[in-house]
Amino acid sequence: MKKKFLLLLSCLAILSLALVGCGGGEEPAQENEQQNVATGELVAGPFEEVEGLPVIQAPEGFDWKQFEGVELNLISENTPPSSALAANIGEFEEATGIKVNIQQMDLGTLVQKVGLDFGANSSKYHLVYADPYQILAKYSSKLANLNELNGDPSLPKIPGGLDDFIQSQLEIDGYMGSKDNLYALPYDAPTMVLAYRTDIMEAIKEDFKAEYGYDPTPNPEMTWDQYYEVASYITDHADELDVKYGTGHQAKQYDSLMCDFSNILAANGGDYFKNRDLGGIGAANPGPADMTSPEAIKAIKFYDKLLGVAHPASKSWDWNGLAEAFAAGEVAMAPEWHEFASMFENPEQSKVAGNVAWTVLPKGPAGSANIFGGTGLAINENAPDEEKKAAWLFMVWATSPQAQLMILESPVGGATPSRTSVYELPKVKTAMEDPSSEEAKAMPNLTSMSATLEAWKIENSYGRPKIPMWPEADTIIFTELSKMLADQQDPEATAEAINEQLNTLTGN
Amino acid sequence: MSTGKSLEAPAQQQPQPSGSPKAGGRFKRLLTTENLMLAPAITVLASITIFPFLYLIYASLMDFALAMDDPTFAGLRNWVRLFKDPAIAQSWKVTLIYAVVGLGLEVIIGVGVALLLYATPWGRNIFVTLWMLPIFVAPVVAGLLGWFMLNSSYGLYAWVLQLVGINTDIFGNVATALPAVILIDVWEWTPLITLIVLSGLQSLPSEPLEAAEVDGASYWQKLRYVILPLSARIIVVAMLIRSMDIMRFIDTIFITTAGGPADSTKIIGLRLFEVAFRFMDIGYAAAIGLSMLFVTILLGQAFVKVMYGR
Repeated sequence: MKKKFLLLLSCLAILSLALVGCGGGEEPAQENEQQNVATGELVAGPFEEVEGLPVIQAPEGFDWKQFEGVELNLISENTPPSSALAANIGEFEEATGIKVNIQQMDLGTLVQKVGLDFGANSSKYHLVYADPYQILAKYSSKLANLNELNGDPSLPKIPGGLDDFIQSQLEIDGYMGSKDNLYALPYDAPTMVLAYRTDIMEAIKEDFKAEYGYDPTPNPEMTWDQYYEVASYITDHADELDVKYGTGHQAKQYDSLMCDFSNILAANGGDYFKNRDLGGIGAANPGPADMTSPEAIKAIKFYDKLLGVAHPASKSWDWNGLAEAFAAGEVAMAPEWHEFASMFENPEQSKVAGNVAWTVLPKGPAGSANIFGGTGLAINENAPDEEKKAAWLFMVWATSPQAQLMILESPVGGATPSRTSVYELPKVKTAMEDPSSEEAKAMPNLTSMSATLEAWKIENSYGRPKIPMWPEADTIIFTELSKMLADQQDPEATAEAINEQLNTLTGN
Repeated sequence: MSTGKSLEAPAQQQPQPSGSPKAGGRFKRLLTTENLMLAPAITVLASITIFPFLYLIYASLMDFALAMDDPTFAGLRNWVRLFKDPAIAQSWKVTLIYAVVGLGLEVIIGVGVALLLYATPWGRNIFVTLWMLPIFVAPVVAGLLGWFMLNSSYGLYAWVLQLVGINTDIFGNVATALPAVILIDVWEWTPLITLIVLSGLQSLPSEPLEAAEVDGASYWQKLRYVILPLSARIIVVAMLIRSMDIMRFIDTIFITTAGGPADSTKIIGLRLFEVAFRFMDIGYAAAIGLSMLFVTILLGQAFVKVMYGR
């Protein structure tokens, strides 16, 4: 009898274990699928609501002040969204009692500080501006899995759900290697598009058309070869125009040079590695390099030729230097990050305000390629649970459509939202469609938005390889390109040098 | 009882090994008041210099590339890489040019100005104060000033150069970038040489100079045979201080050129910074750092030998 009882008990135990085991495998998938579905009744949080945007909600009875007194440190690049967030942080601090210290610095210093913080397994910085290439790709194991926080029934959910983010940006900013874990939420979305002077284009239009047979005004159908012709023409006729050079570039021996060149590389159908799927969720090992392909060599040759007619100071400009030069009226056209639109339209900072228009970058044989430079916001995995949850409340607010709209409208901000719902608002639509409208004046960054939305289309967007060793790869690329621009080596030797060093770096 | 025990001779009670009393005596001699008072300072100094130095040696034998908090043993791999890496050789080459030209200019101008100030009969303090101003500017600010002055869009010097027909971009051209950063360094640190040399000149004994004057020596003869030989040591001290600094200070270059164009301004200190804090390759950075330390020690020893005439 005792034996039978024990046998029955054993069978029941095995059965329950099997059931738990089977259920356990499916649970995360179900959780992922249902993470946007409220588990209980959700009620609006203590934040200002905007008609037409998803509301920040929490489970009924949720105490928004439960983490009162917690102090969080956010480390961010000195970008417009962080300035806008810092200027409006009072709303969040008042609603939650959580104090947020926003520290802003250049990206290089940020990467250094975050790397040291992670290396020491510390949590000095609870919230991290997680650049997908220099932080997310290298330190994803040090970032909290946001799916767990978003799936926690006791915490607020992402307002509007993950579907409200621009999906290509969510993939680049949020994941690494696979979609099992979500490490960051899209926070800003700078993308390279083409800025040009409308007054210069008007001035040369007729003569240029008579000579070359087409309108020089940049448009989505323009090719890089045509761009070169227009740039050369303007430089040659600079004495008659209110400008010094046709084109300017961010070709300083720095990250900016790699970004500037990547647009032309991808437009020619080339890429840094043979594996062309590295730009989205990324991979730990990229495989062999592909910089000696005919497409890559063609792109390198063209870039060398293009820089030959560009403003000579291009070789000492990063994106800021180029923006200052464009605003000073030194160049007529410039591939530049779209978030400089507010600077170009500000008469206090720009001589060319009112004379700037934007379009996607010119086409190559493989179409137009516009490099994406957006970044996500992440939580330090080393932080204690209480601080992690407090940081989650901040994430929910900072990446909400309301906060994104606030950043867009902020006089110290001007960044563009990463939420689709914001672009559906009537005033935002008006600003994008009519650059002369009051709405556009209030949100000057939207003057570049039509071009940027076009650039975000999958066929026009380019994401650089998201691999853990990207900082080294980036340095190899821009150093060798810089040597070529300094006439120390020809394009073929440049391609060989980059290819060889990338393969050595990745062990291929 | 304790009093009874203390009366007995310890040597008779417990035979000691022959070396112990001597060692104990030496230890006792070390426990002097001055040594005890110095001990906290020496302990602090040791902890902030010796421990990091030993850790640096350890780090140079480890691989931190995959995970900073979990390094793996790399043996001499970082050291072999150090001697094979063409980028390191290029950085040492740039450092050599930067140090020799920069230091040379700083010594020539610094000593020249010091001699002028030494000979100035009035207003020396005002001139010294004005001349010293750049030293009080942080190297980062010196870099920013250089950047603003030479910026091709709005820089004052760039504008002047354009007026005389020079249209090149100073920091974007291999031929001009290195001279530009050297000149910024010269602008900032020449006054330090002047300050050190001037203090040496002011403490020169007056008798040899008076004797030379009585003998009817000209200024150049006094300079050649009296002033310079007597102040040679202080000039070497100034050179020693600056030569060590010149390898460490990367701020100006970091702000103006970031090492470019084409690595033409990437001195070894900047390369070290890049490997350590951009690539987070701490093991390789430790090997580079130790090689810099070795070169600095050699340089210091060479200057000391020159100073003592050996």
